[in-house]
Amino acid sequence: MSRSLTRRHVLRTGVAAGAAVAGSRYAFARAQEASPAPGAIMIPDNGVDLPTDDITFRWIDSGDLKALFYNEFHAAYQEAHPNITIQYDPLPWTEINQIVPIGVQSGDAHDIFAMPQDVPSAQAVAEGWVAPLDDIVPNFAEWKARFPVGAFMDGVHVFDGKTYTFPQTSSKRYWTMTFSNTQIMEQAGYDLSSQRLTWDEFREAARVVTEQGQGQYFGLILGGQSADRLATFVRNLGRTSGASAGGSAGFEDIDWRTGEFVYTSDEYIAAAELLLAINADGSIFPGSMSLSEPEARAQFPNGVAGMILEGPWNIPQWQRDAPDFQFGLSSQPIPNGDVNLPMTYEETGSNLLWVYANSDYKQVAGDMFAYIGSVDGQVGIMAATGGNLRAMLPEAVEIAQSSVELDPYASIALALYDEQMRLGPMVAVRNPESAAVATERQPLQPDLGSLMQGLMTGQVSDVRAAFEDLQSRANAELDRAIAAAQEKGANVSRDDFVFPEWDPTVEFTAENYG
Amino acid sequence: MAIATSQLPPATSQRTAGSGSLGRRIWTARWCYLFMVPNLILAAMFTFYPAVMSWYFAFLDWSGFFGDREWAGLDNFRLVVNDPFFWNAYKRSILFMVVAVPIQVALAFIVALVLNDSSYRLGTFFRTVFFLPVVTSAAIIGIVMTFIFSPFNGPINKALLQAGMVDRPVDFLGDPDTALWTVAAVWIWKWFGITMIYWLAALQVVPQDLYEAARIDGANRWHLHKDITLPMIAPFAMVIVLITVVGSLNVFGLVQTMTGGGPFFASEVMEVYIYRNAFGNTGIPRLGFASAAALFFGITVIGISLIQGWGLRKAAAARNQMRQA
Repeated sequence: MSRSLTRRHVLRTGVAAGAAVAGSRYAFARAQEASPAPGAIMIPDNGVDLPTDDITFRWIDSGDLKALFYNEFHAAYQEAHPNITIQYDPLPWTEINQIVPIGVQSGDAHDIFAMPQDVPSAQAVAEGWVAPLDDIVPNFAEWKARFPVGAFMDGVHVFDGKTYTFPQTSSKRYWTMTFSNTQIMEQAGYDLSSQRLTWDEFREAARVVTEQGQGQYFGLILGGQSADRLATFVRNLGRTSGASAGGSAGFEDIDWRTGEFVYTSDEYIAAAELLLAINADGSIFPGSMSLSEPEARAQFPNGVAGMILEGPWNIPQWQRDAPDFQFGLSSQPIPNGDVNLPMTYEETGSNLLWVYANSDYKQVAGDMFAYIGSVDGQVGIMAATGGNLRAMLPEAVEIAQSSVELDPYASIALALYDEQMRLGPMVAVRNPESAAVATERQPLQPDLGSLMQGLMTGQVSDVRAAFEDLQSRANAELDRAIAAAQEKGANVSRDDFVFPEWDPTVEFTAENYG
Repeated sequence: MAIATSQLPPATSQRTAGSGSLGRRIWTARWCYLFMVPNLILAAMFTFYPAVMSWYFAFLDWSGFFGDREWAGLDNFRLVVNDPFFWNAYKRSILFMVVAVPIQVALAFIVALVLNDSSYRLGTFFRTVFFLPVVTSAAIIGIVMTFIFSPFNGPINKALLQAGMVDRPVDFLGDPDTALWTVAAVWIWKWFGITMIYWLAALQVVPQDLYEAARIDGANRWHLHKDITLPMIAPFAMVIVLITVVGSLNVFGLVQTMTGGGPFFASEVMEVYIYRNAFGNTGIPRLGFASAAALFFGITVIGISLIQGWGLRKAAAARNQMRQA
């Protein structure tokens, strides 16, 4: 399942063809004109009454993969509307988490923004941060109807009957795929294109590579300073080996069948012990515990490690920054035994964007969203990102796969997601009032990721005792947050966190909510 | 000593300008106040207002995000004093101060003594060299230092390995036993220059006639410093220590860029703790709680300053006695 490429093969032939048809890279097409070539970005005239003065339209999100599309889209939009200058601020989440709330409070937020990670959407809607799309996206009903059934969920995208955001791209992806340095791994005798490593084999491979590297490179590199990545390692490996769980907004790792946390499960503990064993072997790049996750993935193309467990956003970054770097992509380590369960994800759509309620240019945002949510726009996303972002509209996925040359890495990743991930239940869908619980939640100190840091650095010694304590605190905090939400009038209970009919091996669809 | 005292301007002339009613005194010094206005406005906006508001926030149950501010009374303070992470961060900050300040102040004093010697020709050069890190951004220094201390091809580890002092690279910033102290060492290096300048300024005010008189009396170099330099600059020492102590409690930039407070909170000092809670890296921010922690810690700093202020008065009195002797 692994492919090695010297540089990105995808040249977005569709975009080039479209540009040729239009006589320039981008074009402003009248609705009645012929459809653009697949993947070409052509801004349609949606009949929206747009500003005629010179304006600056501000947009903030976390960049990465989607920036590949937005950079092209913004250029096309500005060409179509020369009086509109788009100020695009792709920033790390830590920045977004601060800039957006401050902007809203000062009445000067970006016109389009990504929601800060810890702000429950329901609360942002209730506080009047964001504007409903119903009134600003042209032909809203028709536009919304293009999305697959169940794409818009109460409590996620829809609040009190109004739609505030839309799923641009699928959230069906995971962060612990095995990226390998092809040269190093081959020298160590591993061909990850034909072999999936079990946990034991993964540990052994890391050890062999480290031995071979003689201090010049190591088996595995990770950004240990980013505690959430250590948590994701335990979570994803633990879940596939039998501790099925899901959840979000600080209440992750709940077995929906029972509503209980799974930190004390043998599988989570075994996953943690695997990472500790690899660390004890000396197979992890020295200094990994003082590296942040972005630093670790930036280091990887320098040939410092054989493997890194990461997400798809690295693909275009490495292709751009290190065009000669040869890497492979394959599954995360699979369990040693017979049990190999899928991971659970919540299809809230990735890369959700929101329109600032006090923006003077909401109609511009609506016009933009109309395109991004169209089939052409969705194909454009897949074309611009080489398929590393998956469109939400099935028709767009179909067109992209048949008419646009996608990055082979993306094809591998998409196949892995389909094989290894299943849609899970969402508390917010069944009971939108559960957002009040998320608002009341206080972070666990230490949480799963911090505990892993403590274990890795020897400050915490007993995995099971630490995880038992975590489980106890997680339960107490969930109960406390529910009680606090109830006190404030929210109709919530611990039963909202139980889905007895959940089967982790199959999709939990809209019908399952009953 | 009487000569030095008699050189001061007559006290009566100083008092003349300040006599009369408050209004008259303000009017007399109106230009001074006028020129202070821009600075006062800026200070009010960006120093006094945020400080006062953070005191207010300390009594609120408020994330800082939304409009649902609720009066919490002393709840935040109760949570703060019951939070072991607060006390751990508190202890680390105090420990950082107790270890780093004496080292920096002593080293800077020794270097200042050397550079204060007018016969030392490279003094200006070394003053500039020592001062360079002071004018460099803490964040930039922090990031560069992560490379310098890196266990993988970092120059420090390379030197240690080549010298045979260690047999495997030391993860200075990823090891809980070394992370905080590595930051402390960098902090000392970065701010060493400014403390040295303070000492140099203090040394300039020691009357040369005292040294001359002592030399005539047969005092050697050690006695000159012990019996004249140290007592004469003692009040300055209190001020320098106070400034350095306050500086040692403002290490956010270095800690955040070098360790982020980790690993596993091993280098989490108070500022990082406050930041973590105020901006909610792992959950909904708790601005009220963070403000309470900041206020609580701020009171400690004020306490330290008051003790030092008392010491300063004592030292000044002793110095005056010495001058009058």
